[in-house]
Amino acid sequence: MPYTIAEKIIAAHTHEKNVSPGDIVDVSVDFIMVHEVLGSRIVSILEEMGFKKVWDPEKVLVVNDHWAPAPDTESAQIHVRNRQFVRAQDIKHFCDVDGGICHQVLAEKGLARPGMLIVGSDSHSTTYGAFNAFSTGLAATDSAMILATGEIWLKVPEAIRIDIEGQLPTRVMSKDIILKIITDLGSDGANYKSMEFFGSLIDNLSVGSRMTMCNMTVEAGAKCGIMPMSSAVKDWLEKNAAGREYSPVSPDKDAEYSGSLSYDLTDDPVEPMVALPHSPVNSKPVSEIGDVEIDQAFIGSCTNGRLEDLEITAQILKGKRIHKDVRLIITPASRRTYIEAMRNGTIEILMDAGAIVTNSTCGACIGGHLGVLGPSEVCVSSTNRNFQGRMGHPTSRVFLASPATVAASAITGIITDPREV
Amino acid sequence: MRESQVLEGKAIVFGDDINTDQIIQGRYLQLLDYAEMAQHTFEVVMPDFVQVVEEGDIIVAGRNFGGGSSREEAPMVLKTNGISCVLAESFARIFYRNAFNVGIPAIVVKGISNQVKELERLQVNLLEGIVTPLGSGKRLVGERIPQKMLEILRAGGAVEWYKSLYR
Repeated sequence: MPYTIAEKIIAAHTHEKNVSPGDIVDVSVDFIMVHEVLGSRIVSILEEMGFKKVWDPEKVLVVNDHWAPAPDTESAQIHVRNRQFVRAQDIKHFCDVDGGICHQVLAEKGLARPGMLIVGSDSHSTTYGAFNAFSTGLAATDSAMILATGEIWLKVPEAIRIDIEGQLPTRVMSKDIILKIITDLGSDGANYKSMEFFGSLIDNLSVGSRMTMCNMTVEAGAKCGIMPMSSAVKDWLEKNAAGREYSPVSPDKDAEYSGSLSYDLTDDPVEPMVALPHSPVNSKPVSEIGDVEIDQAFIGSCTNGRLEDLEITAQILKGKRIHKDVRLIITPASRRTYIEAMRNGTIEILMDAGAIVTNSTCGACIGGHLGVLGPSEVCVSSTNRNFQGRMGHPTSRVFLASPATVAASAITGIITDPREV
Repeated sequence: MRESQVLEGKAIVFGDDINTDQIIQGRYLQLLDYAEMAQHTFEVVMPDFVQVVEEGDIIVAGRNFGGGSSREEAPMVLKTNGISCVLAESFARIFYRNAFNVGIPAIVVKGISNQVKELERLQVNLLEGIVTPLGSGKRLVGERIPQKMLEILRAGGAVEWYKSLYR
């Protein structure tokens, strides 16, 4: 029977003869990523289960990234537990507090490849769909099961087909496209479903821009977001996963989709988009939101803290100063991103313009540290969630946008179209 | 869970799109003690929740309950506060899994959000998915809990379910 990409990858990882949407099947997992939830929850669940050894220590990445380096003793204790687990279980892939945000690090290590079935103990594990993999987020108990057995049950998802033709207009980013798509779908428009992207825009996007889009599919409830193989992904794998095997997966021609969306940016260009408080699916074109004064501008996170995000920020800020009443905080997504941005002069431009550049961490995005908002403060942010209180005080307000829009807004002090600075 | 069990408790009612950040904020996730963490449940959307909640209470919600972060701490703090069951128009997928994994039944009941009054007492027949608000005496028919989730629930949560399979 004809399969979507998600169905095809699931079918290749189960003993069932056929799979169809709604089936609950046991699958073998190719790789699992766990972060601080290992030390805070999973370790004690494993003890309760009577667990002895990880099913395959080569197929596990452990990351200390959410509170890195530890801002308090609780986080420090969780990090200690993770390091102990990594040593005791001889885990092959470990990224301590100096390495960066899990989803970026996993990609940089070449651990996400076409055709793989990946699970992460983090909802934004949908990110690896950018590499033509099926990947989804689960939580502590399910992650514990996988660490013990290498298997998990999954419900086979229906799929939504999303075709996007054309090119990104100047200073419009893939973030703007995905904000528009999830707003069109609504917060549960893709609940339990696979969002599968096609078209010339997707084929020509950079790996980073693809990751941004797959990352945010979970904000519409999606189980996964998947893109076909592309030449940019091929180049990335040659550089970061040399010698490792993979097999690209395309959908069958007659695959069935429960819904479809289609966009043509040539006829109908997307404007820079801004998601208003308190939902990522509450976006509008920046021209329609009126004057919104900001206290903080933030660029970082697994969604938009990559080199291309820092570079467009530098391009907009070069030779300028940020507004006197705004603090601009920039958190590179990984140590490698930071070093590359330092070597090519990007960091210097950002600092000269008045930015604070922090170490890599989830930090401000989760209201953890390095950029927490005070009462009634307003932040424009390149992150993924603007839920009430997400980045700090319950009365603070977060507007989500692309790094270009955040950079432009840092200059003017109000949320600004990046094409106007 | 006992097969024939009918739960009874008062309803604490929420609207649509209650996400896991609203159930328990990210800033409390590094607390290792659930009793301490549970003091902050629904802090942003219902600051007096921990004063109002009693053992056996039932959460009633609108569409897409539990969206956002994958944090299992969300159903765990509900459980720690004594919540016996969550009834909603629909659930986000990770929350739904997590709820059963920690031993809390989650039942989809279309139309429930405007049929139940705040603090009204409810009876819930878990196996049949029938909800009876005792104030009105109406009979609301929810979706039956899928077989896989019943197995996990009967075992007492995913850890016990796992032990029954692998030992």
